[in-house]
Amino acid sequence: MVAAVALGGALFAQGRLESSAQVRGDSDHLLYLPSGRLLKVLDLGYSEVLADLVYLWSIQYYGNYPGGVRYDYLLQIYDRVITELDPRFADAYVLGAAILSVEAHRPEDAIRLLDKGVRANPEDWMLPFEAGFVAYHDLHDYPRAAAYFATAIERPGVHPVVRRFHAEMFNRAGDRETSRRYWEEILRTADSDYLRGVAARHVHDLTVEIDLAHLREAIAEFIRVHGSNPADLRDLVRGGLLRVVPVDPDGRPYVYDRTTGSIARARGRSAP
Amino acid sequence: MEILPIALNTFREAVRDRVLYLILAFAVVMILASTVLGMLTVGGEEKIIEDFGLAMIALFGTAAALFIGIGLVFKEIDRRTVFTLLAKPIRRGQFLLGKFLGLALTLAVNLVVMAAAFFLLLAVRGLPAGGLWVAIWLTYFEILLVTAVAVLFSSFSTPVLSALLASTVYVVGHLTWSLKLLEEMIESPAARATIRMVYLILPNLEHFNVRGDLVHGVPVSWGHIGFATLYGLGYTTLILLAATAIFERRDF
Amino acid sequence: MPALELRAVSKSYRSQWTFARTPIVRELDLEVEPGEVFGFLGHNGAGKTTTLKMMMGLSRPDSGEIRLFGEPHLNAAIRRRVGFLPENPYFYDYLTGREFLSFMGRFFGLDGAERRRRVDELLERTGVATAADRPLRKCSKGMLQRLGLAQALIGDPDLVVLDEPMSGLDPIGRREVRDLILDLRRRGKTVFFSSHILQDAEMLCDRVGILVSGRLRSQGRLRDLVGDRVRSWEVTVVGGREPLPGEVLSRRQGEVLRRVTSEEELRALLSQLAGSDGRVVALIPQRATLEEVFLRDVRQADDCAADSAGAPPAA
Repeated sequence: MVAAVALGGALFAQGRLESSAQVRGDSDHLLYLPSGRLLKVLDLGYSEVLADLVYLWSIQYYGNYPGGVRYDYLLQIYDRVITELDPRFADAYVLGAAILSVEAHRPEDAIRLLDKGVRANPEDWMLPFEAGFVAYHDLHDYPRAAAYFATAIERPGVHPVVRRFHAEMFNRAGDRETSRRYWEEILRTADSDYLRGVAARHVHDLTVEIDLAHLREAIAEFIRVHGSNPADLRDLVRGGLLRVVPVDPDGRPYVYDRTTGSIARARGRSAP
Repeated sequence: MEILPIALNTFREAVRDRVLYLILAFAVVMILASTVLGMLTVGGEEKIIEDFGLAMIALFGTAAALFIGIGLVFKEIDRRTVFTLLAKPIRRGQFLLGKFLGLALTLAVNLVVMAAAFFLLLAVRGLPAGGLWVAIWLTYFEILLVTAVAVLFSSFSTPVLSALLASTVYVVGHLTWSLKLLEEMIESPAARATIRMVYLILPNLEHFNVRGDLVHGVPVSWGHIGFATLYGLGYTTLILLAATAIFERRDF
Repeated sequence: MPALELRAVSKSYRSQWTFARTPIVRELDLEVEPGEVFGFLGHNGAGKTTTLKMMMGLSRPDSGEIRLFGEPHLNAAIRRRVGFLPENPYFYDYLTGREFLSFMGRFFGLDGAERRRRVDELLERTGVATAADRPLRKCSKGMLQRLGLAQALIGDPDLVVLDEPMSGLDPIGRREVRDLILDLRRRGKTVFFSSHILQDAEMLCDRVGILVSGRLRSQGRLRDLVGDRVRSWEVTVVGGREPLPGEVLSRRQGEVLRRVTSEEELRALLSQLAGSDGRVVALIPQRATLEEVFLRDVRQADDCAADSAGAPPAA
């Protein structure tokens, strides 16, 4: 009888306490988490487990509550606590950055967190890759992304796709020459027909783009000098603006429209 | 050799102590609970299970060392069973060493059971377990050191005080690594020398902690294993010598 | 060479909190020859157990020397020849009697078969064979006491030291212990036991020492201390004409118990009885008892203490 009353009382009190906690706002207890560096001294050698526990808690927390205010402490938890306790906790960097970039829309913070991971884990290729991806996808900062991908490529066990990302970034940044150089290297070292096909296509397309760019440049120069469109592409060579009339990698000539002065790809399908 | 019967008798006594089984049960439950925790994570449950399992082994192994170590010597003295034993042709040091070895054996068995539960769990979850035994090996020597401290204190003071002091040594032992950092930050050479001395005297229990490295797949060098083991054995021996010296002077 | 020798042994209890020192044992000089039974007598609290503990190396004397068979007593090896029964013994209560004895026997280098034989023999001798396989926590005090004796003897010691060996035993048990001690003497062993029961000492001991407040007040052969001399006679008389010599102690159914304190008085009584149709029913010479010696020593000690308390400070 006494036990039943005691149990009932306890459960009732628990219910009231929990609802009042929600009213108070849960970001309150985030403030009570001391910095990871301090915790690391105090945890008596159980740093990694502590990091795990905070990590698990953060997953539950960020998975369960609506509202925007909670992201304020997100970086703090991941940067100052979890990854201070266990700097090699790769999943924490990745997850933290994912939440920061996708849900909190704070790609710079995501990259900052990943930078820390990149520094602390020199053998891990995934972390610089993730940083590069955020730079590419969220910030559209292609040179920055390329730099991260370059770091990733240097690391052991890197997935081959990263090299393709790397090569492609230069193209996005406008530097087709460098992009093609990397694609050519991929083509050279490709170990599967699929990869060869992909690389070859990129090299092909880039070459075409580069050629077309050169041609357009030359045509524009011709017009500037001579005041009218060249009659035909050989005029450009005669005028000293081109060494030779380029043909596309399949050997087909580029299509020049004398009236508009525009240059276009060769017609027809390219070779497989 | 007079030490052996005492060691075996101590083992026999410890094995009948309910506290041991309570701690063991708790430990096994916690180790298996790590798999529940693993379910809460986004990918990478391997790390959670391994971190948690090894931490529980270390934690409960130490708890067992403290509780049983302190209880055993005190019980002997309090219940005066020690009178009949010390009146035999046996030196006090042999008595203490025998008790310690009995404890060491008990704790080894304790550790093996916990480790078995842990490795079984890993096997069931299909997770690789290679190399993790090193963490458990070094944990054992840390536990031996703590046990020696517990025996030291309980040879002359009450169980409560012994528990307090031994726990303090455990805590301090896990803080001494930060003394080295402190040393670098201090300017005065005299202060540095003092800190260095304090660091050398106090046990550095972090030497035995290789859990982080192993779970992250960083192998521990044989050198480290060897030297840490040596450090543990050496320090433990010193503590036991001190305990023997105190025990020899004691009046009953 | 004496089996046991104490020279000027003293011990005080030092309080943990103050500097006060309470002396427990003072300047003990004691010798026990091989083959003797020595009774170490005194009140509870006189310092007997402390002395025995010092002898067995369980505590250290503040000053003085103790030797067992000529060797300094802290030499662990010499204890191979000594067996000890502590007061109110405790043992590992989860062991059975047999396991416990066997464990104790290991310290004397007995191999398995020999040990088993010795254990069985001692269980018989001390009368606990029936309870041998019961865990000690389930044994009565009497059984524990007997087991204590058994473990003291497991190494076939030349010197047996017993602290209150009769405690916790019923009269039958005490007789058995007495017989055991006598048997040990027959075998040439030396027995040193402490007790506050004087009658046991009177029956068993060759020599005794009386400890009062930490000091050995009397020590020597029982006969020497107590004296052979008859001090009085108790005569039970019927009939006879008063007045008769001797103090009347009691009367019962026509019999009168009288005490006479000298040979002359006795002769006078006997002749007067003969001359007046009196009859002697019983005649018992009373020798001094150990108890009287003991009480005298205690009284002396009290007087000493009173004197020193009341005495003026030395110049």
